[in-house]
Amino acid sequence: MYGRGIYALRDVSLVVEKGEFVFLTGPSGAGKSTLLRLLLRQELPTDGTVKVAGRDLAKLTPNQAQAYRRAVGFVFQDFKLIPSKTVLDNVGLVPRVLGATSVQQQRRTFQVLKWLGLQHRMNAYPLELSGGEQQRVAIARALVNEPALILADEPTGNLDPDLSLEIMNLFRDINARGTTVLVATHNRELMRYVGRRAITLDHGQVVETS
Amino acid sequence: MTAHAITYCFEEALASLWRQRVSVVLSVLTIAAALLVLGGFLLVTVNLDRAVSKWSAAAEFSVYLHDGITPEQRVALNTLLDGHPAVSSREYVSKADAAARFRRDFPDLAAGLADLSRNPLPASIEVRLNPAKADGAKLDGFARQLLQAGGVADVRFDRRWLERLAQIASGVRWTGWILGAVLLIASVLTVATVVRLALHARRDEVDIMQLMGAPIGLLRGPLVVEGILQGGAGALVALVALYAGYVVLRSRFLVVVGPAFEAAAGFLPIGLSALLVLVGMGVGCAGGFLAARHVR
Repeated sequence: MYGRGIYALRDVSLVVEKGEFVFLTGPSGAGKSTLLRLLLRQELPTDGTVKVAGRDLAKLTPNQAQAYRRAVGFVFQDFKLIPSKTVLDNVGLVPRVLGATSVQQQRRTFQVLKWLGLQHRMNAYPLELSGGEQQRVAIARALVNEPALILADEPTGNLDPDLSLEIMNLFRDINARGTTVLVATHNRELMRYVGRRAITLDHGQVVETS
Repeated sequence: MTAHAITYCFEEALASLWRQRVSVVLSVLTIAAALLVLGGFLLVTVNLDRAVSKWSAAAEFSVYLHDGITPEQRVALNTLLDGHPAVSSREYVSKADAAARFRRDFPDLAAGLADLSRNPLPASIEVRLNPAKADGAKLDGFARQLLQAGGVADVRFDRRWLERLAQIASGVRWTGWILGAVLLIASVLTVATVVRLALHARRDEVDIMQLMGAPIGLLRGPLVVEGILQGGAGALVALVALYAGYVVLRSRFLVVVGPAFEAAAGFLPIGLSALLVLVGMGVGCAGGFLAARHVR
C-alpha cells in the first residue's frame, strides 16, 4: 500500500508452483512490477505475506535478503547492466567477489555466455552491445547462479518483435530445465506464442487467471 | 571478507577516487590542513617535553653567597648540601671564576666588567641534582631552607621555570587536542560529503549490485576504503608539509634561539608520525562509514 489509502496490490492471493512458467499481465499501473519487486524483496508488504520456497521474505535480515537475491535471477526491461564493467564482469562479478571457486565460476560463466551466443562478446562493455545482446547478458547474469526462480519485468519491452521472440524462447528453454519463471509483460502476442498460465492484474487485484 | 572482496573494494575505491579527483584533492587538503594543525601542536609539545626532560636531568640550584660569608658559614652550608639525598655534587664558583665565565659567555660585555672598580659578581655554589630523587615540592622546601642559611644571598632553582615550561607544554598540548578535534570532525564531514558524492555518481551500479545479491559489506566496502585512502593521503601530505616546516624553522629560527634548545629539538618520533597517519586513515574511515550508512 502506498500512502493515503492507495493500494498497489490488494487482496492478491496466488501460488506459483515450482518449475512453472507464469505470465503476469495487465495494463500499466496494474501492479505487475510491484509484485515482482515484492518477490525480489525490494519492497515489503504493508499487510500479508510473500513466501518463496516456504520462507517469509519480510522476516529476512538484510544479509539473508542479499543471500536470497543471489538465489533469484532477475531480468529488467532496461537491462540494468553496469556500464563500467565488461560482459564477463557483469555476469560473474558477485560470485567471483564472493569467492566462488575461480575456475569453476569461470567455466559456469563461459557456459552460460556460450549458451546465449555471447562468448565472443565477453570482453565488450554493455554500451558496445545491441539491445538484444544487452538483454541476453542480463539473462546470462540471471542464470549464472543456477537460480530456482527467475523474475523478468517486461524483458522484451525495449526489443523488436524478432528479438522478443528469441528472448521468450530462451525463457522457455530455461523453464524446460526446471527453473520457475515469472514474466511480467503486457505483450499478449508473446503470451499466446509461449502459451503458458497468465495471471491478469488490474488496479492491484487479480482479475483473471488463464 | 575474501581476498577477492578486498581487491574489489580497493579497485572500486581507486576508480572512484580517480573519477572524482578534483573534489578528492580538496578533501585530502582539508584532512591535511587539520592534521597539519594537530601535527604542528604535537611537534611543539614533543619538543617542549624533550627540552623539559633534557634540562630537568641537568637541573641545578645556584646558591649565591654574600661577599662577607664566613668560613664557618661555608662549612655549615656545605654540610647542609651534602646531607640532602637529591644533591649529587656541588661546585664552588668564586667571584673570580664567575667573572671569567662572564667574560667567556658574553665577550661583547666583558669590557664593561673590566671598567668597574670591583667585581660585582657574587661567588656561588652550583648544586647538581640527582633527577631520580629530585622531588619538586621537597626541593622547594630545601631551597627555602638554603635561603635562610647564613651567608646566602639568593637561591636560584632551575626547576621552577622548567615547571612553568612544562605547564606551557601542557597548555599547548590541550589547545592542540581541542583545535585538532574540531578540525578532524570537520574533516570527517568533508570526507563523508565527498564519498556521498561518489556514491551518488555510482548509485545505479550500487543498486544493481544490491539486486545481484552483493552483501551489504561489499556494497559499503569501497566507500569506506575510499575514505581511508583519502585520510591516509591527507595525513601523508600533512607529514611532508610538517617536516618541510620543521626543517625551515630549525634552520632559520632555532639557530637564533640558541644551541641549548636546538640540541633538544627534533621531528616527531616515528611512532607519533605513524599515529598521525593512522588518525588520518581513521578520520577517512569514519567519513566513509558515515556516507556508507545510506547503502542498506
